[in-house]
Amino acid sequence: MRKREKLDQLAISGSLTPWQEVRYAISKDNRALIGLAFIAILVFIAIFAEFIAPYGMREQNLQNVLQAPTLQHWLGTDDLGRDVLSRIIFGTRTSLVIGVSAVSIALAIGGVLGLVSGYFKGIIDILIMRVSDVLLAIPSILLAIAIVASFGSGMFNMIVAIAIGNIAIFARIIRSSVMTVTERQFIEASHALGSSHFRILTKHILPNVLSPIIVQSSLGIAFAILAAAGLGFIGLGLEASVAEWGLMLSSGRAYIRTQTYLTIYPGLAIMLTILAFNMLGDGIRDAFDPKMRDR
Amino acid sequence: MKKLSFLALVLLSFTALSACASSEDTILVVASGADPVTFDMHATNDIATARIARQIYETLVLQSNDLELLPGLATSWSEIGNNTFEFKLREDVVFHNGDPFTAADVAYTFRRASESPTIGHIIGAIDPDKIEVVDDYTIRIGTKYAFGPFITHLAHPATSIKNQRAVEEAGEDYGSQGVVGTGPFQFVEWNVGEKVVLERFADYWGEPAQVANLEFRTIRESNVRVIGLENGEIDIAYDVAPSDIPVVTGNPELTLINTPNLGAEYLGLNWASNPYLKDANVRKAIAHMIDVDSIVEAIYNNVGTQMTGPINSSVFGYNPNIDPVPYNEQMAQDFLAASQWPTGGFTLRLYVGDNNAERIRVAQVVQTQLEKLGINVSLNQMEWGAFLAETRKPAEESVADLFMLGWTTVTADADYGLYPLFHSESGPAGGNRTFYSNPRVDELLDLGRGSIDQAVRLQAYQEAQAIIAEDLPWVFLQTRENVSAYGAGVEGFEHHPMGSYPLAGVRKTN
Amino acid sequence: MYRYIIKRVLWLFPILLGVTFIVFTILYLSPGDAASLILGEQATQESLEALRNQLGLNDPFLVQFFRYAGDVFLRFDLGRSYINNREVLGEILQRLPNTILLASLSITFAALAGIPLGVIAAKKPNTAVDNGVMALALFGVSMPTFWQSLILIIIFSLTLGWFPSGGFSNPNQWVLPVIALSTASIGNIARITRSSMIDVLDQDYIRTARSKGLSKKKVVNSHALRNALIPVVTVIGLQFGALMGGAVLTESVFSINGLGVLMVNSIRTRDIMVVQGSVLFVAFMFSIVNLIVDILYSFIDPRIRAQYK
Repeated sequence: MRKREKLDQLAISGSLTPWQEVRYAISKDNRALIGLAFIAILVFIAIFAEFIAPYGMREQNLQNVLQAPTLQHWLGTDDLGRDVLSRIIFGTRTSLVIGVSAVSIALAIGGVLGLVSGYFKGIIDILIMRVSDVLLAIPSILLAIAIVASFGSGMFNMIVAIAIGNIAIFARIIRSSVMTVTERQFIEASHALGSSHFRILTKHILPNVLSPIIVQSSLGIAFAILAAAGLGFIGLGLEASVAEWGLMLSSGRAYIRTQTYLTIYPGLAIMLTILAFNMLGDGIRDAFDPKMRDR
Repeated sequence: MKKLSFLALVLLSFTALSACASSEDTILVVASGADPVTFDMHATNDIATARIARQIYETLVLQSNDLELLPGLATSWSEIGNNTFEFKLREDVVFHNGDPFTAADVAYTFRRASESPTIGHIIGAIDPDKIEVVDDYTIRIGTKYAFGPFITHLAHPATSIKNQRAVEEAGEDYGSQGVVGTGPFQFVEWNVGEKVVLERFADYWGEPAQVANLEFRTIRESNVRVIGLENGEIDIAYDVAPSDIPVVTGNPELTLINTPNLGAEYLGLNWASNPYLKDANVRKAIAHMIDVDSIVEAIYNNVGTQMTGPINSSVFGYNPNIDPVPYNEQMAQDFLAASQWPTGGFTLRLYVGDNNAERIRVAQVVQTQLEKLGINVSLNQMEWGAFLAETRKPAEESVADLFMLGWTTVTADADYGLYPLFHSESGPAGGNRTFYSNPRVDELLDLGRGSIDQAVRLQAYQEAQAIIAEDLPWVFLQTRENVSAYGAGVEGFEHHPMGSYPLAGVRKTN
Repeated sequence: MYRYIIKRVLWLFPILLGVTFIVFTILYLSPGDAASLILGEQATQESLEALRNQLGLNDPFLVQFFRYAGDVFLRFDLGRSYINNREVLGEILQRLPNTILLASLSITFAALAGIPLGVIAAKKPNTAVDNGVMALALFGVSMPTFWQSLILIIIFSLTLGWFPSGGFSNPNQWVLPVIALSTASIGNIARITRSSMIDVLDQDYIRTARSKGLSKKKVVNSHALRNALIPVVTVIGLQFGALMGGAVLTESVFSINGLGVLMVNSIRTRDIMVVQGSVLFVAFMFSIVNLIVDILYSFIDPRIRAQYK
């Protein structure tokens, strides 16, 4: 209890370290907590899929195709007699890998561009922002579709395609956070003390833009998973034997009248996962927003 | 404001449409899964186009449902030596634009066709210098070499007779507008991506079409076509997917019609891209791992039967005395044990086009089955055009070790079903994507192509098939069937093995 | 004021040129060969080479780009399809009405549903009503459009039989796709309306109005809402982009012959000119919508108006 009150005090006075701030934000918002808990479960499932899934990812049984849910197959079997539950479990791994890798790439590139742009300002800033204007003028899902259509489908191309659609967004958000931070006094003081740009960027600015980065990463992962499933759904995704939710949906679609479970469950998995990441992102953002905090 | 007036426009056109439908003219609505490409038959060779073109255009020769050759625009023909045929033409035929049909149109059509790279395999044997107009209703056409299946090729939709004036008037846009033929229906409009509208041609020389209007709608998803059939928006649905067959058979209002066509599915085993598949034991091991019966039952809903060789039974030259390769995992293990790689341990790249859901499923079955032998299979699912390009690369660039494909012997003659696929000179660009090469087979295929004695040809083709079935450049999967469904009130609809069905005789009673 | 508008309009051109460059580059790098696509599987080496020369595919990258950009900007020509030789712009314009209708119905519906939901939530922040509305909004933004479309078909078309499962030619075919496509936007608009409304209600002039004895209802409806809608307008503009992306999937689920289906089909047949043209076309539309929104914004936002007086 006392610790909590102390944290509240520190938070209001703005003297928490960045990591403490994020943890504080999560603890203050139920949504963020629920989201985080669900993400933790998803990560666990993704890592230990082999042990959790009752059947193998590709284990087929042509004598037992399209069976409605039973005790042996809780969510039924698909058109090749594969266990739907197991495919959804393995699909968790596929989705998380795509989401996290795409956002990491976007964050790495967009982050550097945003930092440089917001910190140095001037001509570099103008240049980077104009390029991001152009990138933002193409709806990101269309950009991803164009890239995958051009270079072909597959895991790597898909990750890169989704990442490119997100670079400009990360660059923008980080730039504006950096700009807010650089106006603060301690940065000016560091300048006066003769610290190098690199030192100021890494020691002072980077930690202070942590929260918007986490918020955008969380929302970005949600978008990436949605985009990947969407690409899979229109046939631009991974190859068919890999368990991927969008692909499962699109092949289940042929049976929408007779085997609705093939459409319902993979979609539910996509929705819940996106919901979890959105809850985490929203929760932290609201907790950080000083206006929200007061209420 | 703009939006409002646009809305009004949409509503207006909708009422206009429904007003049309309520008039007493009958419309037969046919739903197909793909959009036609162009009605310039020299610029495409695809089934979606052929199905519509067949109502608009006619060919010199007709092929009956039993694949018998009948007079079409030509009433008779005879060989006059020097690989040349003389054709007598119908004298009572007019084009949709009013021009009379004469030998000049035939000459124009074949000269223009010979410049087309797209349909070279169909009309490539024709020598443009041996096209000679004798009089208005007599024409001679010769081939560059003795070409056994020549008359059969003249029944192919790619050889549809065009009208020179119409083609020249439309210029670059011929095919999407200004389309003129001699068939029972004439072209009205084409709403790309949506529908093609045809109407009965009043001056047709033969039996006039039973329905006044014919509408081909493009509806990509098979289940959406079937739903349309159920609620009466559609009269005939082409290509009912295996997954929708139970829905159709379970509905007493609907009739399912499935008939074997001239196509076959196969798994190609590439001899050039890797060392493993050169070993006959590895090929046999793979063939014994594939359970074709279960594939047909589970994936194709019992449409099709296992092939024993490369061509199916309705094709001229078929060999009925070949035994199928049985599914037997033990035999597969034994053959692999006898090979240079007794326990597998290598990787094969399996290529499949992304436009065929069933084929993708079969590819996954192949992948899982071969993994049981210790053969790793990496699945490469590619966009259809890219897939064709990949499997057509020359030997030194070839990487598609295994690939899923089909072949339709449209002419119903073994030459078309064997020469491009198994003659070593065809090469991957000609259709021999496995780089199969056997001097004896080459000899037999040359003999069958160069002779016009059907007994000689039959014997040559049967021997060739026996050798190919032993060599196994393909794992023979199943025959293809045409599957359509039609609603109550449709009468007289029949399949044709070519996959494009004449609709002039179809009636609609309500 | 006009200086601002002129500045924004002029800025559109470099953006569009940049978009053209990016889209052209992506598809230029595509490994496929247009000539063999056109000539088919039986083409000879010589005819392929001749066609490549004729299409200018052997020219340097920049030459090709400026030729394409020149056609696009000076002649409004997006080229011809490699598959059926039709004009790409014509293909697009033919399908445009369906897509515009779908998108504008959806955005209208999203605004009509989202704004009131946001206002309701903002009036009673942190109550059960607010939490309920915000939870709904969160579900809305997390819902995959294509999955929702399929679920709507299962329930309302296949089970209840209330609406058709495809097509777009009459109003009862509009219902399901519009619901599916607008759900995420409803969530977004409700959220932004709520937070903007809470901000505005907190401002001094609203408090003053309240203390002058005006009823809460009147204050909310006449004073607060107008000001709160300013950021909402921007979001609606941005939603249009998301909507155009979502339309690709919605159209293919409901078999609507629009730009999205054109795009998906041309990707399937590798018709690069059509893919390129339609992505470009949508990006142009998106930029122009955002320009209009910005200009609208300048009219309703007193700060921008003051800056450019």
